[in-house]
Amino acid sequence: MKKRQGERSRKAQVRIPFPVVLANILVFVAVFGLSYVWLCARCDTLGQEIKRLETVQRETRRRMINEQDRWSNLLAPANLDRALKRHNLAMHLPDEQQIVRVRNIAGTPSAALAYNK
Amino acid sequence: MKYKGRTIITSVAIATVFIGLGIRLAFLHLRPSPGTLARIESGRHLEMETRGPRGRILDRNGNMLAVDIAAKHVCVDPKFILQYGDVKAVYSALASQFPADRAELWKELNQPDSQYVRVQKFVREEALGPLRNMNLKGVIFEDVPIRDYPKGVLGAHVIGYANYEGVGSAGVEQRMNAQLQGVAGLRISQKDGRRREIYQLRTVDIEPQQGADVYLTIDQQIQHFAEKALDNLMTKYHPKAAWAIVQNVRTGEILAMASLPTFNLNRFSTAPAEWMRNRAINYTYEPGSTMKAMIVASALDCGAVRANDIFDCENGSWYYGGATLHDSHPCGRLTVADIIKKSSNIGAAKVALQMGDAKVYKCLRSFGFGDRTGLELPGEDAGILWKTDRWAKMSITRIAMGHEVLVTSMQMLSAIGAIANDGIRLRPLIIRKVVNSKGETVLAPQPEVLARPIRPETAKEMRRLMARVTQPGGTATAAALPGYLVGGKTGTAQKVDLEHGGYYHDKFMASFVGFLPVENPTISIIVVADEPQQGGYYGGTVCAPYFREIADQTVRYLRIPPEGFTTEYVTEIETGGSGEESISD
Repeated sequence: MKKRQGERSRKAQVRIPFPVVLANILVFVAVFGLSYVWLCARCDTLGQEIKRLETVQRETRRRMINEQDRWSNLLAPANLDRALKRHNLAMHLPDEQQIVRVRNIAGTPSAALAYNK
Repeated sequence: MKYKGRTIITSVAIATVFIGLGIRLAFLHLRPSPGTLARIESGRHLEMETRGPRGRILDRNGNMLAVDIAAKHVCVDPKFILQYGDVKAVYSALASQFPADRAELWKELNQPDSQYVRVQKFVREEALGPLRNMNLKGVIFEDVPIRDYPKGVLGAHVIGYANYEGVGSAGVEQRMNAQLQGVAGLRISQKDGRRREIYQLRTVDIEPQQGADVYLTIDQQIQHFAEKALDNLMTKYHPKAAWAIVQNVRTGEILAMASLPTFNLNRFSTAPAEWMRNRAINYTYEPGSTMKAMIVASALDCGAVRANDIFDCENGSWYYGGATLHDSHPCGRLTVADIIKKSSNIGAAKVALQMGDAKVYKCLRSFGFGDRTGLELPGEDAGILWKTDRWAKMSITRIAMGHEVLVTSMQMLSAIGAIANDGIRLRPLIIRKVVNSKGETVLAPQPEVLARPIRPETAKEMRRLMARVTQPGGTATAAALPGYLVGGKTGTAQKVDLEHGGYYHDKFMASFVGFLPVENPTISIIVVADEPQQGGYYGGTVCAPYFREIADQTVRYLRIPPEGFTTEYVTEIETGGSGEESISD
């Protein structure tokens, strides 16, 4: 009886070798899985960021065009005329007496003669 | 025992349910039926077609004349508002923002079965500010592009407009629609349960391409000068309509083309059709005496007459071909030069008779009458110049004074431009260049010679004869511009009575067409008034002053030096006193 018990305890004490390969595989799979999940999450974040930036870009472009449009409207000659009038800025062309005309002298193209009409 | 049985039954039931769900899940994932697959796919599928913005229209200096801007449709979801929102708050906010029928709005908001009502279309971003800030539940802002014309009425007839579908329907918008229209983009992707796009599953992403930008030959400042001058003309003489064109005679480029009455391009749908008519190219009329310039030029060119030849102008009344021809100002004997200066109908008729029907017809065709000029605008009229086999005996005498022939102002300016441009008639240009979204120039029309109706020497002589028209004793002294020699010709034609035949005695077409500086012409201008109502009806009275107004501002703006001068400066002679010059050139 004792002999049998001794055999059993010996059997129980048999050491099973650590499954290094399996552990490596499991670790590799776990790392791979985690990397995959991390990459997925990263892609998702980047995708959302791209979407957000796309929206921002679209909005900015819209605003820029709208501002250009408003600026262009402000610079319309009729609007400038109105603005000048509103601020009492009377702008008129110079009188004939105020104009000095310069003419090339024949034979000496570089020389110029200035005189009042 | 009793409880143990129940426990087993419950466990089996739950297990069965889970196993069933598991099997279903497995089937759905591993072997879904084609119908199911299609249903799932269609639920997740996202396909968006994005419209490319329409290209811009700009003037020759890059000033924006037409552009697509972002706007919104203001929409509501009445079902949602009635369930979760505040219908009264939405109603009062919308009613205060938009001038809609209030009863109708209230009715629209109180529709429990409706989930989409468009309250206001094409609202600009800046007008939405207050409404956005209220954060009203059930109010939706739908993106939509809108064509905007920042200059309003400026150049309305040239620019034209695009309709609400973004299709060009008039003017350059219509003619250049193919270039202006962008290429639609496409995005194919998948969406999640909240209907948001899953970026990672985007399979197709083609960016929309913006349409090409069209640069016109028009200069917004000169266009403004022309429109302002016409406005003054309308105020003083109250014609039914008035129009003007300014052209660069050396290139054929149109610098301004104005027509009044006009309309605001941003509200084109409310403008009467008559206001939208570009009379400069599609209104044909008997030009009257402006035609004499072409007749005399042709006669000089073919040697039928010389400038100093003398014709008897019959003291203002001459019977020929079964009818009497009159001069508005009776003249005796006039040289060919004076026939132009005094605008004698009888003199011009006799000059034309020296050439004969065939030559007159050939020359006028060569000047472009009876043909479209080829301007890149829709709706250009060709006018009418009958072939000689349809002419009566007296036709040649009437055509010489600008009757029995229908022309457009564009044709007349093009013909005068040939005289100004040493006898070379150029195709008028309105498109300067077309630049695509990558910045490449895809179209750049070059000056094109259409005909050479007269020799350069004849053109030079003719310019000098036409310069006398604006000098003392001529019919258009009001067109004279200090410092510049202006060549031109007046036209005053009775209008045809289409109902009763013959001509009206109280309805006239007044016009003045000219160019400057005479020795080296740079610009040509035509001003036409249809039925001036008060203050006169002669071309020299009604149109010549406004020709001068446009020319005066244009030569200064373009810095065209006066005859014989290279440049000009401005001194403060009146205010200075110190002798210092304030150079503003």
